Amino acid sequence: MSALLRVEKLEVVYGRAITAIQGITLEARKGEIVAVLGTNGAGKSTTLRAISGFLGLDDARVTEGAIHFKGKNLSNRPPYLITKLGIVLVPERDKVFPSLSVVENLSASVSGTGADRKRLEEMAFNFFPKLAELRGRTAGLLSGGERQMLALASAIVCGPELLLVDELSLGLAPVVVDDLAQRLVEIRNTLGITILLVEQNAAVALSIADRGYVLENGRVVLDGDAARLRNHPDIQEFYLGGAGERRSYRDVKQYRRSRRWYG
Amino acid sequence: MSSREPRASGYFRSSYDQGLRLIETRMQWTALMLFLAALGTFPFIATSFQLDLACQVFLAAIGSIALMLLTGYAGQVSLGHAGLIAAGAFTAGILFKEFGAAFWITIPAAAVVGALIGLIFGLPSLRLRGLYLAVSTLALHFIVVYLGGEYETKRGFSTGIMIDAPRIGDLLIRDRKIWYFVLLAFAAVSLLISLNLLRSRTGRAWAAIRSHETIAEALGIGVPAHKLLAFVISSSMTAVAGALFAYYRGFVSVEAFSLFLSIQYVAMIIIGGMGSLLGAILGAIFVTLLPYMIEYAVGFLPNARSYAGMLAAFNYAAFGIVMILFLVFEPQGLVGIWRRVQNYFLLWPFKQKPLGGSRK
Amino acid sequence: MQLAINIAVLAAIYALIACGYVLIYRVSRVLNLAHGELMMLSAYLLLTTASLFSKNPLIAIAAAIFLSLCVGVLVYLFLMRRMTGEMVLAAVLTTVALGVLLRGLVVLVWSAQQQNPAQALGWVNYSIPVFGGRISAAGAALIITTALVYAGLFLFLRFSRYGIRMRAAGQNPLLAAQRGISLHAIYALAWGLSTLTGALAGILISLDSGLDSTMVLIGLKAFPAALVGGLDSLVGALIGSLIIAAAEVLMIYYVDALLSDVVPFLVLILMLVVRPWGLFGTREELDRV
Ligand SMILES: Nc1ncnc2c1ncn2[C@@H]1O[C@H](COP(=O)(O)OP(=O)(O)OP(=O)(O)O)[C@@H](O)[C@H]1O
Ligand SMILES: [Mg+2]
Repeated sequence: MSALLRVEKLEVVYGRAITAIQGITLEARKGEIVAVLGTNGAGKSTTLRAISGFLGLDDARVTEGAIHFKGKNLSNRPPYLITKLGIVLVPERDKVFPSLSVVENLSASVSGTGADRKRLEEMAFNFFPKLAELRGRTAGLLSGGERQMLALASAIVCGPELLLVDELSLGLAPVVVDDLAQRLVEIRNTLGITILLVEQNAAVALSIADRGYVLENGRVVLDGDAARLRNHPDIQEFYLGGAGERRSYRDVKQYRRSRRWYG
Repeated sequence: MSSREPRASGYFRSSYDQGLRLIETRMQWTALMLFLAALGTFPFIATSFQLDLACQVFLAAIGSIALMLLTGYAGQVSLGHAGLIAAGAFTAGILFKEFGAAFWITIPAAAVVGALIGLIFGLPSLRLRGLYLAVSTLALHFIVVYLGGEYETKRGFSTGIMIDAPRIGDLLIRDRKIWYFVLLAFAAVSLLISLNLLRSRTGRAWAAIRSHETIAEALGIGVPAHKLLAFVISSSMTAVAGALFAYYRGFVSVEAFSLFLSIQYVAMIIIGGMGSLLGAILGAIFVTLLPYMIEYAVGFLPNARSYAGMLAAFNYAAFGIVMILFLVFEPQGLVGIWRRVQNYFLLWPFKQKPLGGSRK
Repeated sequence: MQLAINIAVLAAIYALIACGYVLIYRVSRVLNLAHGELMMLSAYLLLTTASLFSKNPLIAIAAAIFLSLCVGVLVYLFLMRRMTGEMVLAAVLTTVALGVLLRGLVVLVWSAQQQNPAQALGWVNYSIPVFGGRISAAGAALIITTALVYAGLFLFLRFSRYGIRMRAAGQNPLLAAQRGISLHAIYALAWGLSTLTGALAGILISLDSGLDSTMVLIGLKAFPAALVGGLDSLVGALIGSLIIAAAEVLMIYYVDALLSDVVPFLVLILMLVVRPWGLFGTREELDRV
């Protein structure tokens, strides 16, 4: 399978001073769910923003490297055209229009022709039946989980081939997160779209992902099959919080050393 | 102006006191002296028309320096500047007409009235910011002009109030040459007052308020007091300019204080360059002379006579275009251009400044 | 009764103009201070189209309205687009400059004399008796047009896809772009619609009472109406217009005719002191600008 998205040696600088990403290479193939893990400030959101074309607003620039989607170079394309190409971002914060109702939020999404669009809207309601109940509700009054559903649904109405999801689990109860994760798998299976999932909750992300990348300080330090990552000792230790008592000072030091080595 | 910025060739200050100096190098002294000498000899070689232009520039410069303090330094936008000029002019006119008051009474009176109105203009700024503030000053402009018009009609001066030439002691200020020096003195005093304010605590407080109000408040700067102070000082200066304008023209009428005049003052500080007193002066010169340049240019058009009645329209159009060009292409204004040229020559053959002396 | 009719007509005028301010402000947070001039330009365009299509007044009006819409879109594309991302105030000053430019151009093209488009169209402004008072035909047309425009705008913003996108873009431009909305297209649409409603107002006012540069002042006086209602609310603009119109007509009638030009601004100041964000605006609106 060829890569749908290919990010090559990407380097991003905020305001000419802060290098948030220093040479990330990653790819996503058609129909895959790819998890991107990393601690706070590792550069996950920045990567997604770079792919979807929103760096300019934060006075950030891609200084090095390239992003290819379906073989096309994405640099210098305005964000709304990138969305039209088929890359849709579900951002970390402010992901719905609070004063618009649920239905209006969906209508605000831009996508293809009439029939196609109808199908997508129906599909969105099928994935999230709860939203159908809340049709007329003002989005600002929804709970965090409902908002996340609405954000995913609005993104689906845009008709994406690649869905970028930033922090699916942010501020949500574990049950809800598991549920949403299952929906993502369902969405992938029915629509055949590719999903790039940025997550703090490694257990959930790796349970649904096919492959994963781990970022530290703006670099990829680990990557591979989700199953391999799940069993990797560092991931066990520091992302899955696995082997409780085994953690000792020496382990941490060992981890630090390996981090330095990679970073 | 120059006091805040290090010399282009490097950063030589070694104590905070040096940062407060108005004049730093011998070169600046020489330049200043030459400039003053030029100003002093100008009236003796200029024609009467050129003298009139110079006087108008001085009047405009006082107003634009005042507006620059308020908008360019303290960050409070005002679209009601013409209202303040009207207030000053009417204060002088009314005091003269009703009480026969002398020059040395009407001018301070105008300053006081200006300060009071400034206080009123400033009160909305305690609650409002940016756009809303601009709008409230716009509203106050209409109210002041209405009051002036009301006075004119109620007292039967429907064509305007005539004012005699002022007198200081035995000196009758009627001759253009004398006006030139009087107005030059007023403009110079406004400039010096502004320079001193800006390098004092007040100036720094204004800068803090302009860049971030909440943070200024957190730093312990009395934000409301300093905002009001900016309005009071600026309005007071502007009102004095208005009173001088009334004397210089010998005539006060509401027609002279349209909204367009306010826009002209805003244009002066935009065209000159925000946040620079030099910019205020350059802007005043440019905006005052623009109509004359237009008139001159229109004279070259084929059958120029037929356009004579349309000069005002040409003015408006040219004015709009110039303002748009500056807003879109040169937001730094004339000062920005001036600095680039100056740096080019100072630094030649280099392109970049040394590190410490870089301007923001 | 005549008083009530006068208030209704004036309120209709203000409301029709004010919705232009609201549309642009709501979508792009820019206050268009050239609205009065654009309105005047439309009325002058009618003068030209009236001489072109002297046989069919309705075609002349339609052509003038269409041209105005184009002007609005072009103003956005060639001027205001450059100001997106700049400080809001710079954008507002740009509209001021545009207004000055238009005022000059209008006089250069059409001269400063008082004109009468109704005459050019061959229409007479009949005075119709209603409810024990009289209303001019153009005045009645103003009231009906305003009602239709508000109903239309309401339906458009509530139910049409582009209307919803306009609201979305006004609320969160970043997210709107993420959902594939082209902000430039939306802003251009807002400018087009705003000048279109302004054109309706300008044309009808000029048919009612002739045309010269005082129209700019009418445009400026409608601005307090928009602000009193809260700059981002159409319902607010409607009610604000009623308040301002009532205050103005009553003051002229009972106190002093000269007050006419100040009353809207007095009400505005009163409002800014008591409730700066307007009757229907939201409070956080104040901090945004
Ligand atoms: N607008 C900005 N201006 C300057 N620096 C920024 C900006 N946004 C992010 N950064 C910096 O870039 C780095 C990466 O940030 P990013 O938001 O991509 O992290 P993240 O991996 O998404 O973290 P989190 O899990 O907390 O969301 C951080 O060091 C951050 O401080
Ligand atoms: Mg993040």
